Amino acid sequence: MKSSKVAKRYARALMGLSSDHAQLEAWGAELERLARIVDSPEVAAQLESPTVNHTDRMAALGKIAERLDLSFPLRSFAVVVASHGRVADVIAMSEAYARMLDDLMGRARATLTFAYQPTDDDLARVVAGLEAIAHKKIIPTTKVDASLVGGVVAELEGKIYDGSLATRLADAERRLSG
Amino acid sequence: MKSRFAIAATLIGAALTPALAFASEGGSEERGTWGALVFYIINFSLFAAILWKYAVPAARNFFRDRATGIRATLAKADAAFREAEELANRAAERMAKLEAEKNQISSDLADETVYQIGRIYDLAREAATRIKRDAEQGATALADNANRRVRETLAHAAGKVARDLVLSNFVAGDQTRLVQGFVEKLGEEARR
Repeated sequence: MKSSKVAKRYARALMGLSSDHAQLEAWGAELERLARIVDSPEVAAQLESPTVNHTDRMAALGKIAERLDLSFPLRSFAVVVASHGRVADVIAMSEAYARMLDDLMGRARATLTFAYQPTDDDLARVVAGLEAIAHKKIIPTTKVDASLVGGVVAELEGKIYDGSLATRLADAERRLSG
Repeated sequence: MKSRFAIAATLIGAALTPALAFASEGGSEERGTWGALVFYIINFSLFAAILWKYAVPAARNFFRDRATGIRATLAKADAAFREAEELANRAAERMAKLEAEKNQISSDLADETVYQIGRIYDLAREAATRIKRDAEQGATALADNANRRVRETLAHAAGKVARDLVLSNFVAGDQTRLVQGFVEKLGEEARR
């Protein structure tokens, strides 16, 4: 909980640096890249090792940011995070930033799980349906799960919309068993 | 005791005195002299006087005491008799009461027995009703449980068959139709 609050504060601080949506989007993508690298097991183990001193940790994060070719604000952000000893919270900061940016841009993220690989048309229709509900632009993440037997399950803003055959069969089985 | 001893001594003395007188005179065959008569009269008078003086009061006292004792004994016997009679009457009354009490107890016992028999009968009937109801409920529960298990087994089998049928007959068009149905549901949700 404390970590989540800290991550939100850092994310809010980064968003406060610009009012340009395009730039905020670009920073979001850069922060996500940085978070993925920092969260990878080998890098995370090195950065969080007690044998690495504070200065070396800051230098290491600076070099990672440089290698990732991050913009100047993001490099500075990475150094500040490292200097405050919050490297472990970078992934939470990235997620918090993405949520704030989605709110700012009036969009929502949805996870769509299909029983079979969806066609573009099927995907577009489901996304349109979800946009009609959320009144926001939907950014879908698609998955395939054969255990659904048929149909699709959508998760949007903590709510599940279940249109799978597996659930229908389970309901029918439950009704039959009384 | 003292008076009795005095009476006895006087009588013996009186009986022996003429003999002593005869003996002192030598036992002669002489008879009918006036002196002897006077002597006998005086002797008898003395004897009678002594007897009247000492023996009669003692005898009178003796008999009076004896009469008093007898009367007291009689009074005591009478009192004892009355007391015994009273006790007998009381015993008879008590016996009568006991008889009544016995009859009452017998009657109460009979009533209590009838009540207890009725109560036991009621309890037994209630117990029988309860046992019957419990047995019926148990049987119903068992039947319901068995029915539920059968339904569950059938439903599971039906679900498996349905799933196998769907999987073996599923085509791309089915998925499109399912997606279309899902989108329509989303539309209904959006319109609410």
